[in-house]
Amino acid sequence: MSRKRSEGARHWPLHLFLLLMVGVTLYPLLWVVTIAFSGGQSLAIANLPADAHFADRLRAVTPWPEHFSTSNFRSLFADQPFARWLANSAVVSAATTILGVFLASTAAYAFSRFRFPGRRAGLMSFLVSQMFPGVLMMIPLYIIIVQWLGLGSSYIGLVLVYTVTAIPFCVWMMKGYFDTIPRELEESALIDGASQAVIFFRIVLPLAKPAVAVTALFSFMTAWNEYIQAATFMNKETMYTAPVGLRFFVGGFSQQWGFFAAGSIIAAIPIMALFMFLQKYLVSGLTAGAVKG
Amino acid sequence: MPAPSHRRRFVLGLAVALLLGVGIGLALLTASRTAERRQLAAREALVTLAALTDLIERVETPSADTEAEETADGGGMGLGDELAGLDAGAAPGAAEPGTATRSAVARFAETHPELRFIRVVTFEGIRLEASTDPADTGAKQAPRRLDREEKDLYDLGQRLRAAVDENRETVAAGGAPVSDEISVQEQADGGFVLGAPLERAGTVAGLAQIRTAPNPVVRAPTPPWLPALLAWLAPVALLALLGLAIGERRAVLAGAALLLLLAGLAGYALAARSVREAERRDMTGELAAHVTAERETTGTLLAELGPADAKPLQPESWDRNVYRAPFGLVTAAGTPDAEKLGALIRADTGRLLRSVGALALLAAVLLAFVGFGGAATVGRNLVHHRVAYAYTLPAIIGMILLVFFPFFYGVMLAFTNQNIYNSSKPIVDLWVGVDNFVDILSNVSVVRSTPDGLVFNYNNFYWTLGFNVIWTITNVTIGVSLGLILALILNTKGLAFRALYRVILILPWAVPSYISALVFQGMFHQQFGVINQFRQIVGLDPVAWFDGPLTSFAAVLTTNGWLSFSFMMVVSLGALQSIPADLYEAAKVDGASRWQQFKAITLPSLRPALVPAIILSVIWTFNQFNVIFLVSAGQPAGATEILITQAYKLAFEQYRYGYAAAYSMVIFLILLAYGLFQNRASRATEAIGE
Repeated sequence: MSRKRSEGARHWPLHLFLLLMVGVTLYPLLWVVTIAFSGGQSLAIANLPADAHFADRLRAVTPWPEHFSTSNFRSLFADQPFARWLANSAVVSAATTILGVFLASTAAYAFSRFRFPGRRAGLMSFLVSQMFPGVLMMIPLYIIIVQWLGLGSSYIGLVLVYTVTAIPFCVWMMKGYFDTIPRELEESALIDGASQAVIFFRIVLPLAKPAVAVTALFSFMTAWNEYIQAATFMNKETMYTAPVGLRFFVGGFSQQWGFFAAGSIIAAIPIMALFMFLQKYLVSGLTAGAVKG
Repeated sequence: MPAPSHRRRFVLGLAVALLLGVGIGLALLTASRTAERRQLAAREALVTLAALTDLIERVETPSADTEAEETADGGGMGLGDELAGLDAGAAPGAAEPGTATRSAVARFAETHPELRFIRVVTFEGIRLEASTDPADTGAKQAPRRLDREEKDLYDLGQRLRAAVDENRETVAAGGAPVSDEISVQEQADGGFVLGAPLERAGTVAGLAQIRTAPNPVVRAPTPPWLPALLAWLAPVALLALLGLAIGERRAVLAGAALLLLLAGLAGYALAARSVREAERRDMTGELAAHVTAERETTGTLLAELGPADAKPLQPESWDRNVYRAPFGLVTAAGTPDAEKLGALIRADTGRLLRSVGALALLAAVLLAFVGFGGAATVGRNLVHHRVAYAYTLPAIIGMILLVFFPFFYGVMLAFTNQNIYNSSKPIVDLWVGVDNFVDILSNVSVVRSTPDGLVFNYNNFYWTLGFNVIWTITNVTIGVSLGLILALILNTKGLAFRALYRVILILPWAVPSYISALVFQGMFHQQFGVINQFRQIVGLDPVAWFDGPLTSFAAVLTTNGWLSFSFMMVVSLGALQSIPADLYEAAKVDGASRWQQFKAITLPSLRPALVPAIILSVIWTFNQFNVIFLVSAGQPAGATEILITQAYKLAFEQYRYGYAAAYSMVIFLILLAYGLFQNRASRATEAIGE
């Protein structure tokens, strides 16, 4: 007991540093919450008088709204097309997830279970494609999808772009998981006369549920948080995704910080919760993939 | 299993290769004949339009009144003057201008029932001088002032006028014309809307527009089926016969098959050439006949309407390109010019031979592939591993269509000067070789010394590259050291609230980066941003963060530092927690100091997790698009632009697709070089570590 107390006492410089870092971390987040509940569109927490005193200035940096109001949230849905943008984001992200997971799990299964000519080349090409810089891909993709196929400002165009960017990571991640599932189960199913498709859909996929879930959540998150490709491919205001819409509030000459803050909270909270749940899988996946690669 | 028959393979290979060669050849021939037909339709429409403008320019001789009016009004008329001029023109007693134009248009329309409408616009008074458009009747009867909705029409005229002036200048300066003087719009129904400038006394005074009849896509007449069939089957049959004599000698079979392949394709080329030549003669004759017909009709109209001293028509110049320069294919007599026609036919033949040559190469590769058994192996593999291929196929097709094809297309774009205005032209026409790369890499004037001190060229590639490198190094250093320190602190045994600290400190990684970036952009606002409020509390002046390169750098660095330390912290913490505690116990027993423990146990155990994390974060930071694009946006004047945001702006703000693709290629090569270097470096350190 006494040892613990003395250790705790020795820890105070550490706590001091940690508290400083916690302050730095939380301040921008509290600022967003403050602006969101301020009921106004200004990015200042408080209006300063011309001859501001120290107390006024302190008020202006304290992350607590002067007047508490939920009007920004209400008017975001009543007056702004934010609900539509959220729905666009949801449709695009969900479609990306379904398509991405389907394509990635079948391919990963083949890469994990079968030995066939072109297997190594295929796996390597997935890895190499991760190195293509996004902008280099965006120019031809823009020409192909918008100018040739006429899929600008459409769900299909953006879903295709997101899916192919997500596939390589998903394939590697799922292949890693399939490799850990013992083959004996499939072999005995094969002896019992099950077909390849039955084995995959009825035995392997259910066993790989955790990997499927993580991959799906990861694809969903990537699509949900993506800004620049959505901004390039979605030109019509009704087709904006949430990120593009949020930037629309505060980009250029528009200064609707209240709407931006309120919208950010709505768009970010679910995805942040998801992320907190996922992060331990992500770290091991990323570092393991990088070590193997 | 019997030994595979070389003879059968080569016969099959020849059949497939010839089918491919002749098949693609036929498709190309048909496509180009259809295109030529379309072009002929356009050229005939242009001839009609040229006849119309020639006629109007000759009948509308300025009367004495209008001439006086023109001199009185002078050049730069305001709108009021124009209206006054219009009133004066409409005043009783004065000969109304445009009457001759109207009657010419009316008569021209009568003799050309195939035209949907003719419209003539005069710039002076912004008037619709004449129109046979069914919409322009009743209240909208010409002549009248143009509506607001018809601004496009007026603008089109002004654009053509500007093009004519511009081309005159460039030609006078010894250059080639650059801007289209005739507008050609192909309609959905296959007809054309053509607009050409109307000149009066050497200057463009108006616009004549015609809409030709719907012209369903012309199909080229039947392709030369019989020669093609012969070119395909005859060599195959011959090889089958020869094979009986040759037997299974592979080299001889290959040689014979190749010769027969070339012979077959040559036979096809001869047939295609004669078809092409006959077609070219036909089309030229058709064009000449059209010019002659127009000359007769328009000549009659001119004799009927025009003044006695009218300049004769110039039908030899009617067949013209978009710069209004005659092709010269039809002589004044209305017959094809033999020399020009010969040159055209030679050019056709050259093109044909080039494409057949390329096809021969392709077909030879296919022949070798089938003949030497490659196809059989691939086929066997496909059948044998069909389940595996079926599983991977969807993903592979997606990747090929939307990743690898775009990548190679992007690489090709890098060698062109494609931009938003010429992106409909074929890529071959825009080829500029390595010009883009030379332009990006050869400009090394980053710094210029002036009397006011050094001036930096922020848009220079090397400035951006240098900034990008500094940006990456500082960020990764800050992220790694902060993350590592926090991880070491959080790994302290017995520290209170560890879990709570951990959850809070992970938050920046969880927030979507575009939101963090926009939030920091707001917090760095000069007037209302909280950062400047903090500065004022401690008595400092507010800073215009994005007006100077250093302060702007500080702003983006803060933002990225905030959103990147969590990742490193989590990675390091995970690695720290996986170090078995007995290692430290053993070290303590051996009497190792804390520092020695850190050096001998902690750091080496961190390495396997930290090295890949650092590699990843170097690449992420190097390409950290959102922070730069959304926080500083490259302010001031592009000083804080990184390579990838610069490439984006080149492509999607300046629309220089080719140049931007070259720029991105350079980025790709830099990253590739880094990856290779990193790979070797980490292998080398591993070797030392062991």
